[in-house]
Amino acid sequence: MKSYVIRRSILDGFTFAFLIASLAVWILNPTDEQALNMKLNVALFGAAFIVGTFVSHVLTMMNITTLGEALFQPPYKKSVVSIPWYKTFSAWHLIVLLVGLMIVSIIKTKFSINELLNEDGFDGAIRLFKGIGSPNFDILPKAIINIIETIFMAFLATALAIPFAFVLSFVSAKNVMTGNVGFSIYLAMRTLFNVMRSIEALVWAIIFSVWVGIGPFAGMLALMIHSIASLAKQYSEMVETVSEGPIEGVQSCGANKLQTIWYAIVPQVVLPYVSFTVYRWDINVRMATIIGLVGGGGIGTLLVQYQGQAMWPEVGTIIVVIAIVVWAMDQASAYIREALK
Amino acid sequence: MSVKPILSIKNLKKTYPNGVQALKGVSFDVKKGEFLVVIGLSGSGKSTMLRCINRLHEPTSGNIVFNDGNTEKDLAKIEKPAEIKWLRQNVGMIFQHFNLIPRHSVLSNVLMGKLSKTSTLKSLFGMFSDADVADAMKYLKLVGIADKAHIRADQLSGGQQQRVAIARALTQNPQILLADEPVASLDPATCHVVMDYLRKVNQELGITIVCNLHFLSLVRQYATRVVALKGGELVYEGDPKNIDEAWFEKIYGAGAKEVHIS
Repeated sequence: MKSYVIRRSILDGFTFAFLIASLAVWILNPTDEQALNMKLNVALFGAAFIVGTFVSHVLTMMNITTLGEALFQPPYKKSVVSIPWYKTFSAWHLIVLLVGLMIVSIIKTKFSINELLNEDGFDGAIRLFKGIGSPNFDILPKAIINIIETIFMAFLATALAIPFAFVLSFVSAKNVMTGNVGFSIYLAMRTLFNVMRSIEALVWAIIFSVWVGIGPFAGMLALMIHSIASLAKQYSEMVETVSEGPIEGVQSCGANKLQTIWYAIVPQVVLPYVSFTVYRWDINVRMATIIGLVGGGGIGTLLVQYQGQAMWPEVGTIIVVIAIVVWAMDQASAYIREALK
Repeated sequence: MSVKPILSIKNLKKTYPNGVQALKGVSFDVKKGEFLVVIGLSGSGKSTMLRCINRLHEPTSGNIVFNDGNTEKDLAKIEKPAEIKWLRQNVGMIFQHFNLIPRHSVLSNVLMGKLSKTSTLKSLFGMFSDADVADAMKYLKLVGIADKAHIRADQLSGGQQQRVAIARALTQNPQILLADEPVASLDPATCHVVMDYLRKVNQELGITIVCNLHFLSLVRQYATRVVALKGGELVYEGDPKNIDEAWFEKIYGAGAKEVHIS
């Protein structure tokens, strides 16, 4: 079977199953106990999915374009006859799907205009904004000490990630890792990076705060792991786009693999590397703040302490300090990256 | 007296992984000290053949016997990295797009020719000996570009870059110099400058040259012998003066017109 048919069937199957399931929940209104009966529900959803793919297939046979067909069909099948969008099945398929998603998500997030505007809540918000709006600058020295900790935490995480990412970037570049063995290493490395990056830095911080104790060290390690994976991926993508010419030139001189990488590839990627790294430091400063919230040290930890005691003027000070530093880092890194182009 | 050819190519075949047969059994000899020009249309297998000789591409089958009077070796059969290194020391190459390292200085580019004789560790720190640097400067002088030694390679014009590439190849001290369309991306005036340097290398240093070319007028002017490829097969071998209208049509196809550059 062609791969686009599989993609179309999965998309259509899921969208139809979602609509059927939503309708069923609305009509049957199951109890909590019924809702938690996973085996039965998965079986029912699976059945709905199969019905969905079947419907999709039948509609396609009848030359009715479903959403999946419209999205994934190969260019040669795309119709040249222009029909107004409201007369096509795929448009209504999409509209019904979006409306369905909207309704379910409003119910699920307990969206309520009432809560947003009720008097008690509103008073609380006003108190908070008043507090934040009149920062208590007595704690400014403390906040600055803490943000310095955050900046250096981010710096060390970035700096320690560079050598790892640098070496790994060549090991995980398709054009360097040729041959069967090379290609398997390439695949393994790419998978590893994807897994490492799919685990949020926040989760790494929780792991390391148990391992090495709460504090900036845990935060730094979390950021470092995340940075290695992200930088190695970005670096290796740069390695894959280098031009072949200098590589052939250096190889024709009898250079070995290391010499070729060093003289033909590195000069072509070093500027983008520096650019990515500066940006990564900038990202790490922002992430370090968040990581502080779960015990990663720095300004985030200070923020969560004051927030816990509802000391809003102090929280306000910290927000001002964070905003200034993040803005400055952002600008600086943008200028540096611009200059490196 | 029959001197063994420096390169003896026998039934060389190359099939790319995508199934394209670039070379369908090519055989010819390269005599020591000659200026051999390979002509043919784009896609006739000229570039592939040169790259098979110095093993930038892997030949599928056939022999490439190298014999400089001391050593005899089949270049198509060697496997070990050390042997590949030996091969590349003896067979230098220049390219259509020069293939210099753009951000490095001219001198640093020419020193690449010494990589095969420098230990990996030393080369990673750019520690080339004074003798190496002197050698590199000597060849930069030979191609008349020594005054540009400390300028970044990408600041030079095309013709100058190709001369740097020649100096880089010479620094390897090769016996054979492969030239893959060395003047195809240069203007006609610069063309002759580069070709003249290649002739100088051939005549003064006695380096055998195997050069892919497009323009027949250049072929008549510089080649001592010509081979022609068409569709991966050898269709002509002989004196450049004997390429007449009929041969020209056979090589380039009926209806083709010769373009002259002054």
